[in-house]
Amino acid sequence: MKAMKHALALAIVMAAGSAAGFAQSAPYERILNADKTPQDWLTYGGDYQSHRFSGLKEVNKTNVASLRPVWIYQRSQITGEFIEATPLVVDGLMYIVEPPSTVTALDARTGMKIWSWSPKMPKDVKYIGLHANNRGVAILDGTVYIGTLDCHLAALDAKTGALRWIVEVEKNSDNHAISANPLAINGEVIIGTGGGDRDARGLLDAYDAKTGKRLWRIYTVPNKDEPGADTWGGAVGNGGDVWNGGSYDPDLNLVYYGTGNPSPAFGGGTRPGDNLYTCSLLAVDATTGKLKWHFQFTPHDIHDWDSTQIPVLFDATVGGKRRKLVGLANRNGFYYVLDRATGEFVAGAPYISQTWAKGLDEKGRPIKLPSYDPAPTGTLTNPSTSGANNWTAPSYDPENNLFYVSARELAAVFTPTGANFQSGDSAYGAIRALDATTGKMKWQYRMIAPAWVSTLSTAGGLVFSGDDEGDVFALDADTGKLLWSFPMSGVDPRDSPITYSVDGKQYVVISSINIYAAFALR
Amino acid sequence: MPAFAGLTDAQLMQIVAHIRSLGNTAMGDVATGDPVKGQAIYDANGCASCHIVNGVGGDLGPDLTGIGSLRPADFMRLELQNPGANLPKSPVTGIAIGKWTEYLMFRAVTKDGRAVEGMRAAESTLEIVLEDAKGNYHSLHKADLKSLEKEPGKSFMPSQSSLSDADLNNLAAYLASLKAAAQ
Repeated sequence: MKAMKHALALAIVMAAGSAAGFAQSAPYERILNADKTPQDWLTYGGDYQSHRFSGLKEVNKTNVASLRPVWIYQRSQITGEFIEATPLVVDGLMYIVEPPSTVTALDARTGMKIWSWSPKMPKDVKYIGLHANNRGVAILDGTVYIGTLDCHLAALDAKTGALRWIVEVEKNSDNHAISANPLAINGEVIIGTGGGDRDARGLLDAYDAKTGKRLWRIYTVPNKDEPGADTWGGAVGNGGDVWNGGSYDPDLNLVYYGTGNPSPAFGGGTRPGDNLYTCSLLAVDATTGKLKWHFQFTPHDIHDWDSTQIPVLFDATVGGKRRKLVGLANRNGFYYVLDRATGEFVAGAPYISQTWAKGLDEKGRPIKLPSYDPAPTGTLTNPSTSGANNWTAPSYDPENNLFYVSARELAAVFTPTGANFQSGDSAYGAIRALDATTGKMKWQYRMIAPAWVSTLSTAGGLVFSGDDEGDVFALDADTGKLLWSFPMSGVDPRDSPITYSVDGKQYVVISSINIYAAFALR
Repeated sequence: MPAFAGLTDAQLMQIVAHIRSLGNTAMGDVATGDPVKGQAIYDANGCASCHIVNGVGGDLGPDLTGIGSLRPADFMRLELQNPGANLPKSPVTGIAIGKWTEYLMFRAVTKDGRAVEGMRAAESTLEIVLEDAKGNYHSLHKADLKSLEKEPGKSFMPSQSSLSDADLNNLAAYLASLKAAAQ
């Protein structure tokens, strides 16, 4: 009887979801229904659909101007790499990553550190084509998962940081490294690797969440005798890294991941053909690891336009029919809408003033202009190698069907061996609100430089993001009007704002260079 | 050798100047200039009111200490005649940002009608700091401005076109003689 009372009390505390509980269980069913617990931020994109939308609305259009900083967490060690991780929040505890691969748990109400875990990292760790940073952790059933720079996947106890298991995903000495966040679904943890800019072969793995045993692996570029090998002109495919996060549709049991550029990135003369499955979106069976469908955005890429942008899953009516869709604002400058059950191209439109394609054909394949191929003397092309969007995540507001993306209007002069960026004075950035079904722009908030900041939208009618000069801001989700800003300072920050609540009070957390700062209404 | 098609004219000139400096080769017609006479012109024309050489001088314009190691005399002669035509670019501050034009002039007018003309000292999406001709900083909130216009080609530095051909060569030769100290 006593034990039952204790169990009942614990259940009540867990249901309350407050800091007092510190339960951090996060079972699969709870993540499946992430929209029912807006006080938490349970996955990289807030939910499995990667909406980065919160139902919280204590902070809204009428009061956001009163948002003030309430705590700041400073990194304990400065490594030279910036914070890029999206924090997770579960029952009042926040999980952040301090570059390169240190997981730290904070009291989400105060920013106080509770525990920290760092892997043993080789001094000569390689991370070719990546920076020595990390996009964040995943959580499932009381366990926190992180991919480390030296290409391991580690499972930590969510309450104490104790190591439960760690496995080598691939050999770091062979140029494989991890900067991506894992995706934890029903009993398995999914992770991809980077390193394809130096001939590493792209891959996506699934591991048993309890034991770390590998369940399946899919390579993103084919061997000689595999489907797609004929798209490499006899060359052995390389590249196609899965170096960013993915999304999950539990009904279709598919995970969606974008792939990186082919290797070598420029020129392309040694790899004639489309170079499957690089610069593509892959839909992979979550149980078997089999490829269900693929869609290639940039066949035979020669501009370093990885297609690892976050795929956003949403349902909308197209031609009078309700459809399961996936939207992606590609590094090549086009926004795409695909049927996420079949991979069929539904719609596409440029979301920056791209200069390399006349448009997309009826199957979504780009109609390249002669300017696509860089001349030895140089060809000015928008977007640059860093793309119209890169790793920063968009958000999707299901209440108005808008897709908010930080767009980069930055051209470069390309040659067959590389590229030089356009002058800072002639480039700019913008937060753009696109109709998620068509890609048509509804509004934009213009910034003087392209930014590296994700967007967050909320039921309070707000879009949070930041600019490249260190300002963080909130925009009116319907008009793009600036409603609040705060100078965090620090040029070239890489942020991914999130929101959560503790004891009924809403917080917005934004990072900048070496700090996480929490804002709330006073 | 890869092409360097993405370089600006100013960057190309800097590379040319560096390559020339490696061989101590002659610099064309302006090499006939006399640096001693050029220094006299520099002093007489008040250049030091805005430029520092070896720690002495005003700070409105670029520090010219070591300028002879960065720019050839013929480039400096062009600059003397048309100071705002080829402004330098800042060092790259981030992979995305690219290089910003330094000493770029702006004219801002506040909503209450106050006009400020000055060189950009700092700028963000929301703010800008301008340095006026007297060296005063003006911190301006863009939302408070009625207008903010770039003034490309303009400079606080007066053109030296009224100098004779020989004096232009002399002044350019003096500037070219200001070599950076060996490290």
